[in-house]
Amino acid sequence: MDPNAIAWTILVLPLAAAVIIFLLLKRWPMASAVLSTLSAFATLGMSIVLAHALGNSATILTQSYPWIALPGVLRLEIGLLVDAKSAGMMLIVTGVGALVHLFSLGYMRGDAGLARFFAGLSLFMFSMTGIVLADNFAMMFIFWELVGVSSYLLIGHWFEKDSAADAAKKAFLTNRIGDFGFMIGILLAWVVTKSIVFTEMKTAVDAGGLNQVLLGAAVLLIFCGAVGKSAQFPLHVWLPDAMEGPTPVSALIHAATMVAAGVFMLARVAFLVEGVDHANIAATVIAYIGGFTALLAALMATQQNDIKRILAYSTLSQLGYMVMAQGLYGSTEGLFHLYTHAWFKALLFLGAGAVIFACHHEQDIWKMGGLRKKLPITFATFALGTAALIAVPGTSGFWSKEEILVKAYGTDKLLYAVGIGVAALTAFYMTRLFIVAFLGKSRSENAEHAHEVGPVMWVPLAVLAFMAVFSGYGFITGGFPAFHPGHTHEGSHEAGFLTTILSLVALAGGVFAGWKLYSGREREPISLRLLANRFYFDELYSLIIRTVQDLPARLVEYLDLYVVHGLLAYFPSQLARGAGWTFTRLQSGHLQGYGFLFGAGLLALLWYLLS
Amino acid sequence: MPAYYLEIIVVLLGLAVLTFDAVGRVEDKRSLAGLGVLGLIVVFFLLFKTSKPADPGSVFWKFYATDALAFFFKGIAILTTIVVLLMANDFIPVLQRFGPPVEAKAHPQSGFAEFVALPLFLCAGLMWMASANHLVSIFVSLELVTVTFYVLVAYLRRHELSLEAGVKYLILGALSTGLLVYGLAWLYGATGALDLSGIEGALATTENPLPALFALAFILAAMAFKVGALPTAFWIPDVYQGAPTPVTALLAVGSKSAGFIVLMRLMTPFLKSELLSGKVVAVLAIMAVATLLYGNFAALLQSNVKRLLGYSSISHAGFLVLALASAPSHGGALETPATTVAFYLASYAITALLAFLVLSIVSAARHGDDLNSFRGLAKASPFLALLMLLSMASMAGVPLTIGFWGKFFVFQQAVFSRLWLPLGVAVIGAAAGFYYYFRLIFSMYLETATGADGNPLGKDTLTKIGAGSRIAMILLALAIIGFGFFPGSILALLR
Repeated sequence: MDPNAIAWTILVLPLAAAVIIFLLLKRWPMASAVLSTLSAFATLGMSIVLAHALGNSATILTQSYPWIALPGVLRLEIGLLVDAKSAGMMLIVTGVGALVHLFSLGYMRGDAGLARFFAGLSLFMFSMTGIVLADNFAMMFIFWELVGVSSYLLIGHWFEKDSAADAAKKAFLTNRIGDFGFMIGILLAWVVTKSIVFTEMKTAVDAGGLNQVLLGAAVLLIFCGAVGKSAQFPLHVWLPDAMEGPTPVSALIHAATMVAAGVFMLARVAFLVEGVDHANIAATVIAYIGGFTALLAALMATQQNDIKRILAYSTLSQLGYMVMAQGLYGSTEGLFHLYTHAWFKALLFLGAGAVIFACHHEQDIWKMGGLRKKLPITFATFALGTAALIAVPGTSGFWSKEEILVKAYGTDKLLYAVGIGVAALTAFYMTRLFIVAFLGKSRSENAEHAHEVGPVMWVPLAVLAFMAVFSGYGFITGGFPAFHPGHTHEGSHEAGFLTTILSLVALAGGVFAGWKLYSGREREPISLRLLANRFYFDELYSLIIRTVQDLPARLVEYLDLYVVHGLLAYFPSQLARGAGWTFTRLQSGHLQGYGFLFGAGLLALLWYLLS
Repeated sequence: MPAYYLEIIVVLLGLAVLTFDAVGRVEDKRSLAGLGVLGLIVVFFLLFKTSKPADPGSVFWKFYATDALAFFFKGIAILTTIVVLLMANDFIPVLQRFGPPVEAKAHPQSGFAEFVALPLFLCAGLMWMASANHLVSIFVSLELVTVTFYVLVAYLRRHELSLEAGVKYLILGALSTGLLVYGLAWLYGATGALDLSGIEGALATTENPLPALFALAFILAAMAFKVGALPTAFWIPDVYQGAPTPVTALLAVGSKSAGFIVLMRLMTPFLKSELLSGKVVAVLAIMAVATLLYGNFAALLQSNVKRLLGYSSISHAGFLVLALASAPSHGGALETPATTVAFYLASYAITALLAFLVLSIVSAARHGDDLNSFRGLAKASPFLALLMLLSMASMAGVPLTIGFWGKFFVFQQAVFSRLWLPLGVAVIGAAAGFYYYFRLIFSMYLETATGADGNPLGKDTLTKIGAGSRIAMILLALAIIGFGFFPGSILALLR
């Protein structure tokens, strides 16, 4: 099969699965689940083939098809771009995706909306593939929005719960704010570079001579899209709430892939970010937003009690790292961390899912405890995932975090310090989570009666655990260069040495503090209201919405009621009705009347044409 | 294979249906419609196998055009007839109730064979119209179609409304035929030519425009009758409502599209003449404005869905005339915007056929075609309601449906031609369209139907849909969405 056909099949297959399930298989939930899972594994296989076909060549530009062609006005094409970045990203998306599908077979068994759930998963796989493989911004934006829709559907899977429905709405609306900026950014970049096809845009940027101010503005607006999708400050508020969705969804969408779409998009257009010539404010803003989010989220994570929320804040924090790397011109370093993070964070979420499943949907870590003996496989894999997240030397997370820190050392010392601090905080809150949930004594009925999950759930955990440890090594990453900085530390050896020392100190400090504080505790020993309440961001936003939105909204409502509806709409609509009434009077139903009108019409034509 | 073989094959197909009915003992006469459908599908594929004339200079080809437009409209005619025959299958119960009286011993479905054969003959006429480029062939093919319609409209002989519609259509149709032949005679007198290229040459050099304009008035009045534009569109609501639903679909889609290609061919010589084009554009623009206003505003108050589709058909004719008026200019003389008109007609054909299919099923099951029959349809049959929703969205021109692109191209053309006032009216008309199309959607999804006894109508009556109609409806719905994404694939057929 030629790569072109493979790429298109990868894109279309999940859509076909979703459509078939939605139209035909709704009544056979198990068939739907199996079909969806098979399509995920098939795309994984094809992604591997595609990555091999790519080999060492730079890109495979697959055929693009004209979509809208209005001569001189508008020309849009649908095309796929397979290069090192997208082929590698596809391995992550389909790899984690296939494992999550498998896990869901066990986790969602017996759910009333099973078919709907798997249709949603397949729709998501389709949309995500579209983002990754798109060769132009218009197509990427469409799939970007489709991802938003499928995320909405999956967060709100248990829509009869108010909290899930609200969370889905919140995620969608918050993302829309970012996407609005994204759309304007795309249009602005289109104006500046005269194209929306990535390769052509790159040529335009390389040629130089573009308006620097507009280009910088375009980059910042495009970054808005990443801020929304990758949940960066100040639009980070939706991600923790999105944990209302089923846990496999959290693993796939809200940890490994969709939230990484923002980072991927920034890496995709790295040439734009780096194309702004001097005093690159745009890149600096991106880096600092990333760094700030990393710090903020790590602080908030230390005081959460819900196992999924802790992981959600940790995801925010790690995404902050990746975005920071993008802003520091380190798109490869950012992608490398995206890649390792996808495996170990999916592992942690699925592990959390197994715990929740075993504890009959208990999510409070203070009501768990002592799970080490009850869930030995989950315990072991979760331990490996935690090790990767807190960057224990030898695990994949260690390598990728080092890369970003080294990059920061050479560029911005303040962000470097933030990075080290966040590493310490990460070690601290993960130690807390691990000790409280898995060690000690069981603190509730549910935890007491927990049993190990079945193989359909622990096999994906084991595979992910393997990847969590080894995905940073050359024998795996060697296949795709875009994700592999090659351990060539830029700058000096001194930077690499210093970074290793400092991150080991951070790791040891964080683990020690966590162990000292939480070992053997029955309940939370310290209470930081500010952090537990997430810096009151949600309260602040609802206050802002109340004052900034509701007041004008009330004003607009009055305008709408009296001016628009009363004056502007009422009279024209009455006029239209009147006209309609008059016209229907002509429609008397009498043949003579019609004959008369016929003649009158002819006379009118004659009069006009001959006068 | 020469293109005119296709018309001959279709006529033979109609004769075959009649023969089978008379000679063979057909138990279930729905198989006759099946025969017609299969035959037409074959003809549709043969359409792509036709060859160009070897000797285009000979006399015959002066009567018969074989350009891309002709093939496009032949295709529309064939597909329309296929859908109409499928519709006719589901229409048998109504035919048995209201159709020609059946003797006690006769087959209970007798009279159905003619209901299949006549649309086939009509289809041949429509296909011929698509190729007619000579005043004589134009007139004869038009009359073949019109005379067949006289029979079909009044086919429900025991139904008052159908008879009334038949009489109205007969008398007004005869009037328009008279006007047309008078106008064509004047055109011949003014130019001395009967084939359109000869007329074009004569009009390009004419000194005195008055005889040609006099002829134009009659031709426009008559052709406006065929395509459903003002000033002669008043027959449409009554006839659409009274005619059997499959015939209404054929009238709305087949007659209109074939009428438009003839109108377009007749207007081309006038638009290409520098002396006349200004006046012709102005009169077309006025007709467009009047048609748009009339069709859209009168539709606002309709509560009968068939009538509503009638007014909607008038409103679409308004958009089409507007497209015709926005003829692109090539150094003085104007061209006909054939692509825009053809695309719009294709989009209208797909959308309207879907609407009529749903309408005929719903009205047969619920014994009525007013808005009440559609109330609560979403609960009774989500499938039909979804299809109708799609069709109405496309009629209104919601983006990413095929109807959107139809309107988009018309508006674009009008902008290029700077027809600002008609364009404004068209935009208002499109906005009004949203009101009456979406009111039907509102009824289907947000209201509950009540039967004669005051109870909500149940699910049971809507379960029987023929397999053919079901497939056709799904294909049409897919076409609405598919071409909504890829409008270019239709445009490619026109090159």
